[in-house]
Parts: sequence; structure tokens; C-alpha cells
Amino acid sequence: MNHKMLKTISCGVLPLMTLAIVASTATGAEYYLRAEAFTKNLPDPSGVGTIPVPMWGFALDDSFEGLELQAVSVPGPRLTVPAGDTTLTIHLDNNLSVPISIMIPGQITTKTPVFFTDGQGRQRVHSFTHETLAGNGTMVDYTWTGLEPGTYLYLSGTHPAVQVQMGLYGGVTIDAAAGEAYAGVTYDAEVMLLYSEIDPALHAAVDDGSYGTTGPTSTVDYNPKYFLINGEPYTSATLPMSAGAVGNRVLLRFLNAGLQTHAPNLLGMYMSVIAEDGNVYNFPKGQYSLTLPAGQTKDAIVTPSADGAYPLIDRRSDVTNAGGFSLGGMVRFLEVAP
Amino acid sequence: MGGNENNQEAHGLLEYGIMRTHLHSRGTQFAVAVTAALALFAADAYAVIDGLTGSTFTLSANDGYVLGGDGLSIYTWGFANDTGPMQYPGPTLIVNQGTVITIFLKNYLPEPVSIVFPGQEGVTATGGVAGQLTQEAPADNGATTVEYQFQASEPGTYHYHSGTHMDLQLEMGLVGAIIVRPTEFPVDQWAYNHADSAYDHEYLFLLTEMDYDVHLMAEFGLWDQIDTTTFHPVYWFINGRNFPDTTLPSGTPWLPNQPYNCLPRMHPGERLLLRIIGGGRDLHPFHPHGNNTTVIAKDARLLQSPLGTGADLAYSDYTIASLPGQTVDAIFEWTGAQLGWDVYGHAPGDPMEPFEYAPDHGKPFPVILPGQQELTFGGVYSGSPFLGAAGDLPPGEGGLNVYGGFMYPWHSHAENEIVNNDIFIGGMLSLLIIEPHGTPIP
Repeated sequence: MNHKMLKTISCGVLPLMTLAIVASTATGAEYYLRAEAFTKNLPDPSGVGTIPVPMWGFALDDSFEGLELQAVSVPGPRLTVPAGDTTLTIHLDNNLSVPISIMIPGQITTKTPVFFTDGQGRQRVHSFTHETLAGNGTMVDYTWTGLEPGTYLYLSGTHPAVQVQMGLYGGVTIDAAAGEAYAGVTYDAEVMLLYSEIDPALHAAVDDGSYGTTGPTSTVDYNPKYFLINGEPYTSATLPMSAGAVGNRVLLRFLNAGLQTHAPNLLGMYMSVIAEDGNVYNFPKGQYSLTLPAGQTKDAIVTPSADGAYPLIDRRSDVTNAGGFSLGGMVRFLEVAP
Repeated sequence: MGGNENNQEAHGLLEYGIMRTHLHSRGTQFAVAVTAALALFAADAYAVIDGLTGSTFTLSANDGYVLGGDGLSIYTWGFANDTGPMQYPGPTLIVNQGTVITIFLKNYLPEPVSIVFPGQEGVTATGGVAGQLTQEAPADNGATTVEYQFQASEPGTYHYHSGTHMDLQLEMGLVGAIIVRPTEFPVDQWAYNHADSAYDHEYLFLLTEMDYDVHLMAEFGLWDQIDTTTFHPVYWFINGRNFPDTTLPSGTPWLPNQPYNCLPRMHPGERLLLRIIGGGRDLHPFHPHGNNTTVIAKDARLLQSPLGTGADLAYSDYTIASLPGQTVDAIFEWTGAQLGWDVYGHAPGDPMEPFEYAPDHGKPFPVILPGQQELTFGGVYSGSPFLGAAGDLPPGEGGLNVYGGFMYPWHSHAENEIVNNDIFIGGMLSLLIIEPHGTPIP
């Protein structure tokens, strides 16, 4: 039996611990998430200065309106559900000015959609499941049962065209057993790669209230300028991501919370792509390229035979920061130790 | 009126020497030129892909112009073969498995350039200046040479592209193909070291796109105005050409910077290998008419189960998703089976052709052909609906189908991509020609 524990975990630039567990009963994990607005500084095209962009994100608290464990961020805190837990509960605190909700595509829950009547008297969906109103005084719970192992996204299920791209998303992972992503799929090290984009003009319009009124009336002209992995675009200051050592089975968890397809290409090494949306393939696929449509997750194992920094580049050319000349966007280096 | 001409008459026409047919028209019609070279080819010669062979290559990043299928000049960057003219795509490098490949890069462009090799392991780079992904050749008019080296340890279809300022330089055209021949080659004409990859003819499909505005701004040096996040392609290419230029011969003189064509041809019963490369930044659903294809490999690896041999995970489909950076190898076969009529126009007592579908032998053409005065013809009708047959045509019609083959469009099924800057028909499209037995295919 494989007793190897996780040796290296990389989750991006934010100073956070990956095992974000508050309380875990014998069968269930629970987390207290708080949705809040904040400002993110992104590099301007010259690469010298920064541009402030209004964002929405999730933070992690120790209890409802309690102590903050992790500051608000995009993506939100990674939820690492312990292997063996069969239910997951998120207690939501909404400090935004609009209702929100949470959904995890691929996991089982009972949804109660919220409808509204539009200007032409038609019934429309506002939320895929029950909402948490702005400034809620008591926590609102979202529960998933019969948890399946794998890599998943949690996202707002309310007006998702606006809310998801404003930043209401994060990753949630559940292992089949310790060091085992799926039954029989063991790993020694792990890299989390959550892809997303930012359209600053759309964020500004949502933030100043012109979205849906005097400004854009929909996200159909979505034109992202920033391309992020784990919430940050690549800059020359971006550190390589630790990806195990020679001979390790390194699990690459790809998630796409963006609205566009991305195509990570790994240079210098082949991946064994083993799962998609939390479903294990019958046979692994040996590829250096990957496609990540919006909302999809993919898991791949690499077993490096040589140490070094392996570039992972988005082949859709989303490798710029707002059109600037320097390498930016969806690029990372996977550093394999000797 | 044309109907049941048989193969003998068609072969008689083929005895002539070099035949040129040139049709040229403006406006909403397209300009097409075809040169049909007859004789001089051995009967069992196989089609090869144009490119450079060997183990040491010099690529010069340079600029020039390519012609869109609508005739527009597009300022382009491309890799040239040493001191040769810039070409789009860059030279196809055809190398042997196990060989150590050395590529020298010189740069004549106004910004640094480098080369990366997706799918190759252990690539070393020396010389030049350290860039973000690899060593770069600065913009010093060819003074610096960067040396890239790797062992082509696995056979298959690969590509190379710039690793510097990728969003601009890939758009501008710095991409090319690499083919690694398996150790079995040429004893066995296989793409990999297994008979599942055997083929009679192979063709390259390097798929790219261009946003004309970016090229225009680059031409005038308006670098600050280029924003690749607002990508809007209007030209789509196979091997660096838009249809109808894809069907012109390779090395067409009036396309000096676009030396490669894409005109797949085969005889019934043969296996045609498609080497498809997603060379641009968009996905293209490549759609060969005429039959399903069998996808046997992706990213230069046979679709093979862990305990299996060969391409035991190969699958059949009629649209191949060509993803950015990914390569796909697929086998296409055609015999005319199950069309419901005898494609050769046989009478029931006539002998069978090789690979002919016996149950349809002698079955008549299913409709009565209208009279000539009720038909429009175009250039590719031979005058007869039967394979290898020709027939009477009004003066000035036909001429582009001298062997009486069947033509199928092979194209991106994203139909907005089969135009040239909004003019239909063009873009990412070419024609497969099923040629009758005995037609020389180089």
C-alpha cells in the first residue's frame, strides 16, 4: 500500500496553506467562505506600472463572520477535502451588494433555482440554486453529498456570466485516498493550475454600476486583457512552481474558470492525461498539449526523467499582459528538483 | 453527350506530354492555374512531403510578403532556409529517428527570435542571449547564431515555432513542421514503427490563421498599436496558402514565399496519411469529405493502450479537432464502396478494378444526366461522372481534371474559415483527388 504523503504542494503565489480545513466530521468537510469586493493590481502593458482592477473574490473565515483565515483572493481559497469525506458543506457570507450562490459542476447536490420575470414578462433564471442575499445576517449553507474524487471548480451559480468572470471561483479537490487522486492513481507531488481571465473594462462597468444600464448590457463583447494562472499573470518576477523531483509521479491539476478555451503546451516533457472533469479515462493519453475549454478540469501525471524548469505555455497565445511586449499571461515554469 | 466513356479512352488522353491549362478570372470567381505533368514518374513512386532532409539546418528569421488567396500582399515573418527567401511556413525538416538534430538560428527581424520544439525532450540551446523560454538571437541582422540541438528519439509529426514574444511572432508566421521518420523507413513506408501507420501517400496539413491588421501595423512599424488580445483572423492557411492556391503545385513561381501546397491525391484502395498540425492559436475542426478518417496518433505518439501494440486505440471520425500546438496523424482510405453505383461505369461483364467494391459492380449511374445545355460545368468536371473517364465538354469548360478523378473538399468545418478576407470560397480548404489506377502521383 502506498503510504507516500504529499511532499510538495504548489498553489500559486498567495501565501496560503493548502489544507484549508476548519471542521471535519467523520463524514463531512465544511468551510466558511465570505464573498467580498477588492482591488487587484495588474501589470500595465509597459510592464513597469500597475492598473487597479475591481474584483470580487472569496475569503476563508474560521466561522460565520468570524476570524479571517485567508484574505479575499482570486481564485478563492483552495478547498482540500480530506480523502474519505463523503459530504461537503460551504457556509456562505455575502458582503457584496448582489445575491450570489455556489455550485460545483460534477458534484451532487439538490438545486433550487431562483427565477425572475424580465421586462417582457418572461420567466428567466437568475441563479442555478438557492441564493445568499447581499449582507446576509445568518449563514447560508450549500451541501454536496456522495463526493466523487477529483479536481473540480466551485463557482457562483448566480448570473454567472458576470459573477464568475468578476472572480467568484476557486478550486476544490478530493483525493480517493492519501496520495491517491483517484483509485489507483498515486502521486508524489502536485501542481495546481487554475486558469482564468480578466476583462478590465467589464470589471469597471460592473463596479461603477454602468453594466446593464448605461454601459455594456451583456458580456457578449468580453475581451480579456489579462490571462492568469492561480490568479496571477506571468511576469519576469514570477517564480517557478515546484513540481516534485526526478522520478516522482507529479500530478498536474488543470482547471479553467475562464470563459475561453486555453491550450497549455508543456515543453520538454510529455504528460499522461488521466482524467477530465473528475472522470478517469479508460486509457491515459500521452500528449504534450492539452485543451482546456471553459469550465473544464483535467488531470495529468508527469514523471520527469531530468531535473530543470519545464515551460508550460498557453498555445492560444494568451501570453501577454494587456498586449504588452514582455512574456506574460498564462505561462509558468514547472521546476523539477534533481 | 458524356456518359459511359471507359478507362481506355481516358488513358489515351494521358499519352500527351506536358499539358498546361490556365484559367484566370476576376471578380467573384477565383483565379486557378494547374500544371499537369505527365510521364517521367515511376509507376510505384510514392508521394513525399516537400522539405529539407539531413541533420543540420540553418534557419534565418526574415521578413517578406505572402499572397492571400484574394491576391492581397500580407507582410509576414518566416524562417528561411539559410540564405534563401523567407518562407511561410518555415522549411519542413524531415529527419530520421535517433539522429541528433542541430539547428542554427540567425535573426534578421527587428526583435529577438528563438525557436522551441514542442514534443522534443532534452533540447539544448547555446549561443545568443538568454530569453524567457530559451536562448534567443538578438535583432542584430544575422550577426549572432544560436544553436539548438536535440535527439529526434521518437518518430512522428512535430512542429517548431518561435519562443519569443510568441503572441506576435506566431501570428506573424514563425512556425514550421518537423517530420521524424521511424527506423523502419524507408524499408517500410510507415509513420511510426508499426504497420498500423503504413501509408501509400502522405500529406502535410499545417493549419494557421492571420489577423491582417496585425501584419499591417507591423509593416508600418506601429508596434505600440498592436494588441494581440483583440485577435480577429481573416485569412486561414493550409501549409501557408489559402484556397485556391492550396491546389497549385508546390514551388509555384508567383508564390515565391509560399513554397508548399496541399493537394492530396490517391488511388482507390490506398492509404493516405494526413499529418495535421495545429500551427496557429485557434482550434480548427478539419473535415475531410469522402470517408471517415482513422486517427492513429496525437502529438507524435500512437494511440496505444498501455498493454497494447500499435494504434489499438485508433478511432474513426469525420472531423478532426486540430488543437493549438497539437499534431494529429490520421489515415484516410477510399474505394467507392457502398456508393450504390459502379464508379468506373462498368458493364456487369467487365473485369473488376483493384479494390473495387464487388456488390456495386455493374450498377448503373443512379440518375439520367441532363443534357449539356442544362448543366453548368466549372473547371473540375471531366465530362464524365465515372472515375478515370472523360467526356465531351463545351469549349472552354473543364481542363482541371485531366485524369477524370473524383474531387472531395477537405476543409475546416468552421465555415467562416473557408473564406479569404470575407470572400467565399477560400481559406482553409483544399481538394482531395481520387485518381484512377495508373495515374502517376509523385
